[in-house]
Amino acid sequence: MSQDNERILIAIPAHNEESTIRQVVEGVRRALPEQDLLVVNDGSLDETGSILRTLGVYTTTHLCNLGYGRAIQTAIKYALRNRYDVLITLDADGQHQPEQIQSMLKRFGERKADCLVGSRYVESHNYGAAPLGRRLGMRVFSLLTQIATRKRIYDTTSGLKIMRRSVFEPLTQWHFVDFHAEAIVYLLRLGFEIGEHPITVSERTAGQSMYSAISHIIYPLKTALMIFLGAIQADLTRRKRRQ
Amino acid sequence: MTFQGILVLDFLGILLLLQVLNLVRRGRLYVGYGVIFVMSIVAAILIVSVPRALWLVTHLLGAVFPTSALTLAALGFIVFMLVYILTQLTIISNRLATVVQELAILRAAEESKNLPSEFDGGGVRKGN
Repeated sequence: MSQDNERILIAIPAHNEESTIRQVVEGVRRALPEQDLLVVNDGSLDETGSILRTLGVYTTTHLCNLGYGRAIQTAIKYALRNRYDVLITLDADGQHQPEQIQSMLKRFGERKADCLVGSRYVESHNYGAAPLGRRLGMRVFSLLTQIATRKRIYDTTSGLKIMRRSVFEPLTQWHFVDFHAEAIVYLLRLGFEIGEHPITVSERTAGQSMYSAISHIIYPLKTALMIFLGAIQADLTRRKRRQ
Repeated sequence: MTFQGILVLDFLGILLLLQVLNLVRRGRLYVGYGVIFVMSIVAAILIVSVPRALWLVTHLLGAVFPTSALTLAALGFIVFMLVYILTQLTIISNRLATVVQELAILRAAEESKNLPSEFDGGGVRKGN
């Protein structure tokens, strides 16, 4: 487990997740009753907002949809401002199992990593279960990450992450697409330690994926470009710090 | 270029110039963008009206005919403006995102004041 006196915030970014948000919030409360919980309602147009009100969960509401990356950034800004030591992020679509966070936190405390990614593939190294396009994309992102950092991260698109306070500031100082591979590359090139912890995920049963048909083409290109630029930006930041 | 062609292009240029100036005056076009357009239109009028200038531009761009040179210059200008405008849009979009994020955090803190005592000092509700 992470150190007992550390303040931990669990953040769930949510956009139009009326069918799963209740189950996710209740699951987190059951699994981690002692930790603070924040939902970032990213401009939902469905009933997500009113469900969150009935649940009495602390919510920061974006007046318009800013996207997953910005929603995570809002949670980081909140954690930074309210002096949290650790931030845990998980998706609102019900794919992550909150029960697994306890073991992740334990590992996080032991490893002293700056960021621990809940990984679907770190044990098996096998992307076989995913559809072909996604499988290919994840393999490419993982390889690009390895090329840019010399460290293999098998699951670069996981939304389940545990971050230490040390990475909050850097993550608010640059712009990221989805806080996935490009954020991992950025942090690794800045010298932070990132690890992976094996998790299992459930398949999305309801709601809409944040990736539309067109974004299946644009997203990999955007991410590849941002991995490249993230590496450059990290190096420039390091050089600036040294001066 | 024929004298008639020069007259037509100059007339169109002056109309566009007046339109840009009017837009800036009415606050419908940011003065920074206005300056770019005014300078570009004046330069275009000068190049079109002075045969030696048009010949020089054609020669510099490596074009055979003046019309090709003008088309190339116009395309270059359009691409430049497109990149410039998209840059401005991105800046505005980033500023808007920052404002929305700040507002979300501030509103949440404000709303938490009305929440029951089970919410901690940071305004975050403890789990059940």
